[in-house]
Amino acid sequence: MSDDTLDVLYDLRRRRKRHRLGDIEWFDAAYRVYLVALFGGGTVLWISSSISDTTASDQAIADIARNGPALIGLITALTFLAALRSGAQGGPLALEAPDVAYVMLSPVDRTRALLRPVTQRARSAASLAATFGAIVGQLAGRRLPGTPVAWAASGAAFGITTALLWAGTALIAHAIRLPLWMATSLGLAGLALQCAALAWHVPGPANLAGSLAMWGWRQHPLDLAAPLLAVIVIIIGVALLQQTSLDALARRSSLVAQLRFAVTMQDLRTVILLRRQLNQEQTRGTPWLAVPRWITHPIPRRGIASVARFPLTRLVRMTAFAAMAGVFQAMVLRGTTPALIGTALMLFVLGLEVMEPLSQEVDQPDRTDTLPIERGELLVRHLLAPAVALVPFAVIAAASAVAVLGTSRAIAPAAILALPTVLAGAAGGVVSIVRDAPDPTKGATAQAFVPPEMAGISSAMRVGLPILVSALAASTVLLVRHAERLGTSPVGAALRGVIGAALLTCLIGYWVRRRDQWKRKFRQFMSDGQSYTKQQRSTPA
Amino acid sequence: MTELATRQLTKTYGERPALEPLTLHIESGAKVALVGHNGSGKTTLMKMASGLLDPTDGSVKIGRHDAGSQEARRLLSWLSDTPTFYDDLSLWEHLEFVGRLHGVVDWQGRADELLEQIGLAARRDDIPTTFSRGLRQKAAITLAFIRPFTIMLVDEPFVGLDEPGKQALLRMFDAASQRGATLVIATHELTFVQQVARLLALRDGELVYDGAPADTDVHALVLPS
Repeated sequence: MSDDTLDVLYDLRRRRKRHRLGDIEWFDAAYRVYLVALFGGGTVLWISSSISDTTASDQAIADIARNGPALIGLITALTFLAALRSGAQGGPLALEAPDVAYVMLSPVDRTRALLRPVTQRARSAASLAATFGAIVGQLAGRRLPGTPVAWAASGAAFGITTALLWAGTALIAHAIRLPLWMATSLGLAGLALQCAALAWHVPGPANLAGSLAMWGWRQHPLDLAAPLLAVIVIIIGVALLQQTSLDALARRSSLVAQLRFAVTMQDLRTVILLRRQLNQEQTRGTPWLAVPRWITHPIPRRGIASVARFPLTRLVRMTAFAAMAGVFQAMVLRGTTPALIGTALMLFVLGLEVMEPLSQEVDQPDRTDTLPIERGELLVRHLLAPAVALVPFAVIAAASAVAVLGTSRAIAPAAILALPTVLAGAAGGVVSIVRDAPDPTKGATAQAFVPPEMAGISSAMRVGLPILVSALAASTVLLVRHAERLGTSPVGAALRGVIGAALLTCLIGYWVRRRDQWKRKFRQFMSDGQSYTKQQRSTPA
Repeated sequence: MTELATRQLTKTYGERPALEPLTLHIESGAKVALVGHNGSGKTTLMKMASGLLDPTDGSVKIGRHDAGSQEARRLLSWLSDTPTFYDDLSLWEHLEFVGRLHGVVDWQGRADELLEQIGLAARRDDIPTTFSRGLRQKAAITLAFIRPFTIMLVDEPFVGLDEPGKQALLRMFDAASQRGATLVIATHELTFVQQVARLLALRDGELVYDGAPADTDVHALVLPS
């Protein structure tokens, strides 16, 4: 008599879990959790409590009551679009390659075998969304009626609802083999309806979900239909698991394994490349435009050729980042200072996306070393084409900021500040790309001069510094806000902001140009110091 | 009785055809070699038959069941040219897992026998992800044979194998064949091709030969157009 195959599967999972738990260094893990809790939680609380934003005015509160559900519902509509596209591209599940080869090809009931991966996926998405929702909720609670705790709870509920809707929608789109074009069309239709709801105050498809996020202030029982719908959607998704495509699972399994490793190593460039592969995003065979003949220098020509082959999906994504950056800047001007972090993140990822020629060069260190040009010089020249490509995105950012602010007085400062801010913000992406590059000044036997105790801080700097650069660029808007509050000229403040952003951009450019030389000198200095110390010790007194 | 049947089976990647509409019948107990140049569509055909790849059009049946269905998975064993393993299980644990998943009661006896045959008995408690290319291939072979099957699809089984490994694998194929199993083996080893009764040749996704190897110039068949 044979074993029940599902029992075998569960037995294997238990055994593997025991192996994994046996491999964990518990002290190390506890220390990591402690660091994350201390720095992550501490940072959130510190930022939240240090915000001196005033309570929103009656007019602003009335605006939020009117537009809030539709505006927050936009997040759900965007998530719906992302879920449909993820499902059409084989998401949201990713199994290990051997699970595909042995479990999925065995006569096991696939629905039950996949139940745990689905639960894990939905649970991790819900946890992340709940945390994010709670953080944003408690920030809102400091300016709006209701307590921060109640707002945090409603933000978390909204996050969980949206995450479950994402997982369920993606599972359904995957199971029914929804073509990508149809997924995009459906998602965009939902988004358009939600935009219409915001613009003309008609009921939108995601208004109930958006309204749920505002339960920290007021409660409408009808909003509970949103989480109920999310649960129904995920139940349907689970019921369709039998239709899961092994083709997609096999393709995604190896990519996701690499992606997890890259995330662990905080290797943003690899994360981006793998995400593109996962989404089957390929460079265009035919460029949008030919490289002008009058540009003869090979580096700008190569840069333009690269940018001109950006696929439509990437251009759409970059447009969304730029538009969101504009929206966040408008929110800062209206008094929500934490929105600055949103701008910084948008400009940072915009920079990572547009700096493809630089990233490609960094990806090929062996080839770079064979070129008859100094690496710093080469990398700086690779910044030119992406910088030009950022001009239309700066226009989009400015336009969206003006649209949200809804006043013609915002046009002049937005027009003045947009390009320098976007360029300086994208410089954060440049810092990330160049810092992650293999270091040619470091020999194979070179010693690490950073003591192990500093490794955590060094690691945090690696992630934090580029975003800090983008945040500095985004903070130019604070000058305009300050001028508005003092009643002085916002145009003059914007011009001062331009000087700051330009200085920051030049500083980063200079750092890229000189970085190798500085590192070489530093290593030489340290090495000389070590040699001298050794010599002193070996000399008899 | 037909063990593997395709009807107008087609696969395209974007605009590029990987397999042109293919209708094919392979009888139970047959030993078939599948040849073709790199990119001719061999792996694509086998992956669709194993249920790992969705066809763009047409259908594949394993026995009377749709490829990839629970019943088809019970009948078909797939030996890939790129073996994958769990990195936290030993080879012995892999054999236990795969054997028991397929309802093999005396999996220990069968595993011992296979490891002895292929020459991996001394490595049974090692983690296969740490093996060399050839040993990984041998480990994958044991996993493909530990489970019962009526049809086995094999992709490039000889790559990386040493001579004793090749001979052991050939003996395993013979034993399976004598038990009445159907074997479809994609290979570039033209000496092996001469040992089978039926040869299928693919070129640029099209079936260009279906017959006895003795009746054709096999070397010419594997050249790209």
